[in-house]
Amino acid sequence: MAAWDLAVTVEDLGPDSPPVNLSVTSELHVGGVILKLVEKTQIKRDWSDHALWWEQKQRWLLRTSWTLEKYEIHADARLLFMPRHKPLKLGLPNGITLRLHACFSNPVFQTVMGICRMLNIRHPEEFSLLRPVEEKKKKKDKDSAEEIYDLTEVPLSSVSRPCLYNGMPAHFADSPQMEAIYKMLSVTQPPPAPEVIAKQYRAASVVDKAHINGRWLDSSHCLMQQGIRENDRLWLRFKYFAFYDIEPKYDVVRLTQLYEQARWNILLEDIDCTEEEMMLFGALQYHISKVSQSEPQMLSSSAAMDDLESALQCLEVKMEGESSSASDLLENMTAPELNDYLKIFRPKRLTLKGYKQYWFKFQDTSISYFKSKEESIGEPIQQINLKGCEVAPDVNVAAQKFQIRLLIPAPEGMNEVYLRCENKQQYAQWMAACRLASKCKSLADSSFQSEIQSIHSFLAMQQTNTGSHGNAPASDESINAHSLVSPRYHKKYKIKQLTPRILDAYQNVAQLSLTDAVTRFLQIWQALPDFGLSYFVVRFKGSRKDEVMGIAPNRLIRIDLGVGDVVKTWRYNNMKQWNVNWDIRQMAIEFEGNINIAFSCVTADCKIVHEFIGGYIFMSTRSREKSDTLNEELFHKLTGGHEAL
Amino acid sequence: MDDIDAMFSDLLGEMDLLTQSLEQETGPPEPLPPAKQEANFSYGFTDMNESLNELEDTDLDALMADLVADLNATEMKLAADIEGLKVPSPPPPDLPPPLQGLSSHASPASPASPASSTSSNTPASSASSPLPPPPPQGAKPTMEEIEAQMKADKIKLALEKLKEAKVKKLVVKVLMNDGSSKTLMVDERQNVREVLDNLFEKTHCDCNVDWSLCETNPELQLERTFEDHEILVEPLLGWTRDTENKVLFKERGEKHEVFKNPQNFYLWKKDKRALKEIKDKDKEILIEENFCGSSIIVPDLEAVLHLREDGKKSWKPRLFQLRASGIYYVPKGKTKSSRDLVCFQQFDNVNVYYGKDFKNKYKAPTDFCFVLKHPQIQKDSQYIKYMCCDDAWSMHLWVTGIRIAKYGKSLYENYKTAEKKAVVDSAWLNRSTPSSSNPSTPSPTIKAKSTSHANGHAPKPQPGPAPENFGSIPPPPPPPPPPPSSGGFLPPPPPDASFPPPPPPLAAKSSSRPGLPQRNLPTNFPPPPPAVDLPPPPMPPPVDDSSEAPPDFLPPPPLPVKSLPSPPPSFHSMPPPPPLSAKSLPSPPPPLSAKSLPSRPPSFRSLPPPPPRSEKSLQPPPPCVRGMDQSLPPPPPDPGFLPPPPPQPVFIGAGAPPPPPPPPPPPPPPSAPSPAPRVPGSVKKMPPPPPRRTTPSLQGGGGGGGGGDGNLMSELMLAMQKKRGNQ
Repeated sequence: MAAWDLAVTVEDLGPDSPPVNLSVTSELHVGGVILKLVEKTQIKRDWSDHALWWEQKQRWLLRTSWTLEKYEIHADARLLFMPRHKPLKLGLPNGITLRLHACFSNPVFQTVMGICRMLNIRHPEEFSLLRPVEEKKKKKDKDSAEEIYDLTEVPLSSVSRPCLYNGMPAHFADSPQMEAIYKMLSVTQPPPAPEVIAKQYRAASVVDKAHINGRWLDSSHCLMQQGIRENDRLWLRFKYFAFYDIEPKYDVVRLTQLYEQARWNILLEDIDCTEEEMMLFGALQYHISKVSQSEPQMLSSSAAMDDLESALQCLEVKMEGESSSASDLLENMTAPELNDYLKIFRPKRLTLKGYKQYWFKFQDTSISYFKSKEESIGEPIQQINLKGCEVAPDVNVAAQKFQIRLLIPAPEGMNEVYLRCENKQQYAQWMAACRLASKCKSLADSSFQSEIQSIHSFLAMQQTNTGSHGNAPASDESINAHSLVSPRYHKKYKIKQLTPRILDAYQNVAQLSLTDAVTRFLQIWQALPDFGLSYFVVRFKGSRKDEVMGIAPNRLIRIDLGVGDVVKTWRYNNMKQWNVNWDIRQMAIEFEGNINIAFSCVTADCKIVHEFIGGYIFMSTRSREKSDTLNEELFHKLTGGHEAL
Repeated sequence: MDDIDAMFSDLLGEMDLLTQSLEQETGPPEPLPPAKQEANFSYGFTDMNESLNELEDTDLDALMADLVADLNATEMKLAADIEGLKVPSPPPPDLPPPLQGLSSHASPASPASPASSTSSNTPASSASSPLPPPPPQGAKPTMEEIEAQMKADKIKLALEKLKEAKVKKLVVKVLMNDGSSKTLMVDERQNVREVLDNLFEKTHCDCNVDWSLCETNPELQLERTFEDHEILVEPLLGWTRDTENKVLFKERGEKHEVFKNPQNFYLWKKDKRALKEIKDKDKEILIEENFCGSSIIVPDLEAVLHLREDGKKSWKPRLFQLRASGIYYVPKGKTKSSRDLVCFQQFDNVNVYYGKDFKNKYKAPTDFCFVLKHPQIQKDSQYIKYMCCDDAWSMHLWVTGIRIAKYGKSLYENYKTAEKKAVVDSAWLNRSTPSSSNPSTPSPTIKAKSTSHANGHAPKPQPGPAPENFGSIPPPPPPPPPPPSSGGFLPPPPPDASFPPPPPPLAAKSSSRPGLPQRNLPTNFPPPPPAVDLPPPPMPPPVDDSSEAPPDFLPPPPLPVKSLPSPPPSFHSMPPPPPLSAKSLPSPPPPLSAKSLPSRPPSFRSLPPPPPRSEKSLQPPPPCVRGMDQSLPPPPPDPGFLPPPPPQPVFIGAGAPPPPPPPPPPPPPPSAPSPAPRVPGSVKKMPPPPPRRTTPSLQGGGGGGGGGDGNLMSELMLAMQKKRGNQ
């Protein structure tokens, strides 16, 4: 066999160094080529991660036992010898950028698996990589300010065989810096400044959203093949909205990132919601950011002990020590109460015009009032049970107005009552008591103090923000209410209008532990009608206009682009088969009952659409086969198309 | 629509069948008294600190006993309230602390057990639970330790009692399909599912998933099906005193329809025919997608509904949308995009009701209306939202959709539970054909609930057979199990202290199911027998005594067990024996029996414990009283009759509790009056005076509606003073 010269560029020699020429025969296998090459460079190092990349054909020569002939490599081939793992800038769902080594030679599906393993995220199949939306270049070069967390030092060996240390992969325990990175991954970020939200790219229409979906990388090809190069920037995102088996104990990072993605999804109006829902999302964000500061780890706090339960518990504890604590016990059991002079106003009662002052007593879940403190032993003028009532704040800090508006149910309807407090302290206490009572909890409930706290902090929020015009940084206590809602509401409401509305929603979630609050946020997000829809502009066979195809975890939706109405829904479980005609780039799907549809994709390659549908079908198989190992082969089978491996 | 029609007609057919069978089985409707009365007891805690501090061990014991007695008393009151009804008094949850006399080591655990014990079903089990803590003595801890332990246990017990005492109970009259009704005692911890299970036992219906409790509001012409997880008492507490609202027990196919045919709700836009042909597999997938994920998905509803304008008579159409967060409408001139929607109503504070005949009442466009209102609102008000749909199906869609949005996963859990129940029950039916009511054994509800069960049953008609049984059974003691059953027939014991109510528990239960085979009994009341055996002396003698005794005391009682209404008779028959047995029996059993048994206060009083106080005050026949006080320890009076009055003195409060298993229902029923005296005699043995409480309450009870009881503390103090005085 005749020997011929093969030129190989060795990346490690530097960009300008000339290619290394090897004398090879067509029978030589790739491994032999590499061996020769390494010998010739005379560099001693670990070459195990290196491989040959064939530039013209855009493929890796990973099968070292294949001969050059089998690969059909001739003397004109330009080969590149380089590491298979290269650094990549990875934008996480929480908006933070990581720098890490990702695999450039395996299919993206495996690359994502590797990344997730490094970051301690289970179920990597739900993620994929997305080419970022170019930021509007305002030439202010904000990149310099961007903080990048560097994970490139993590040895690849530890990623392939991660062992957990204190619940996190061992490589995160190496140094304080690494621990900080893990904290960034596993703890929710503080609310972004309103300007940051406003600055982000927002998809204004379904078509815009469809364009974003055209940016997903192909899972069955490697990064190199898709034009991604060292140090390029990609986004890691949940791609399939079918979250399997979320377990807060093991999914700290996954859950946090999912929450972050959902939060941005809401803030940027990628998914529509109503105003009430937005307020609730805002309240949950507020709560989550507050709790995550005090409760750094995502541990579900134990359920609060209440009333007698706690008395009994404490009894048991005390009994072990000394046995003479009956009095203490009873003290614990004695229901606390509030007593004070307040003013009351009942709009419907003509007899009481304006606010009248009485001596009020709050006990259990009822308010009683008396003419004066001295008469408080006798019969009250009236007793109001607050169970099931509606409580709303009527507050203006600037004007020193602290009122509680109560709507109290009665057989005849709801009675409206206003209570006016003198100051913040009084207001916070009584408001907290009313809130608890409306939920059938007494003052003895363990959440009373925290309720007071949160009312105080909301008052503070209103105060600081009115002064600083919302420019205050999102530091601990003073969260800008505009940080919690989408820009639409920045225009619609001033902060002082917005704050009470969020506070209002907040009362229903204030008791949640961090994990519960995150879970609730996700639940509400998932219950939105448009949740989980990924849009693509398509053209149905025989139709002359563009339409939108929405791909959801369980169905396909055909949407009229003009009106936005759902025209038709097809469910996957009625799907018999689907095909792609790669020549004309057309998807054809057959459903039960002889329903056939075919369409071509306008805003995305049909491989992406194909992969979406196949991916969801793959996701739905997970619950059935109980094994923990990811069935990668099946995934590729369902998503790879004719080019499948 | 067809399928709906079919569904409804099916339903109707089934209902008819059911009603018929009900009529047969239930027998004559009972004369129920007032629909329900509220009994709300709460103790003030204010003085407690001080007074508790002064307490010593014995006092604590007394407190316990009092607490128990108090409970009993309240229950008695209730019972009294319900007078005409034969509703048996709700037996108090747990019996007093059975303190073992001897060492006076408290047998702490027992009391607690009631609360904890889940398996209320069989008395036996309950019995065992109480005993748990192995006899303290064995351990040989130091005295102090023991004392400390005891005190701790007592306090714990006391706290539990307090908790128990705060439990609200309602007597609820439930209307059946056939127009008859049943009266139940429902406590505030019972959810609708538990009440339904009770009703299953009382009626002989198949236990299919459609059985529901519904509320109706005639004034507003509303009807709503309670969800199985709701606490039944809560909505009822919102009713006004003079309410005409009713609670109905009937089959409501729409309650779980969404789980039977999810496609009709989640794919309602699809072609109707396609929906009908949907495969079971696809239904499962739908349920899984919408109810088993991390988030509950609400059916995607959007329709023009007519809304009744506030205060006006007109109905205006509006485009409404249902979302998980509430009902929204599209304002005029706006798009349907989420951000433009206006929130019409969120569901946190409102329930959804079906409106009846609104075309007439409010001039609604159709009769397919539903209403959203706060459960406490009972009259027409601007805060009620009236909505009108085009057709029945659309109304069901909306009501169901709102329920899903409001209750979420609970609905599905309710359905699964109901399904299980239905399956188990049908299995039961197949096995033991005769008495479908058997399910009783498993009275699911434990704790306090057991009482309620008893009540429920009691009212039922007692078949004639009872008498017969009695006769045969005369010799009470030995044959515990079976007899009880027979005894069971007896209606619930009248509240009167005078009667010796002992047997109540058993009787009550058994009575409930007339036809029940003895089998049930045994299971339920296992405890009794053992008790019998245990006590050494008692057995034989009692028998004799009982047989003899009864006659003496009791005037020749008519064995009128049959007469349902008249509760007393039943008592008679049983009275004597119990006391005896109680004494003789070892302490342990009592607790058990108490728990397991429905026996209510009456039994207590009549039984041994009711010491001095009560008796004096209550009963005319002083003699006994005397005996009691003086001879607290070993009073001999009855000795003759009674079997050897065992060592029991220890019982103290215990005595109060339940006499152990009121064993065998004895003999020929004596007349009520006479028995009383007797009882006292037996009582003597019991040292501790816990009973006072009872007495007062009893008296009060007769009159009252279930008011609150006196302040616990003050009562306690009173009791102590008296006691000291006596001594």
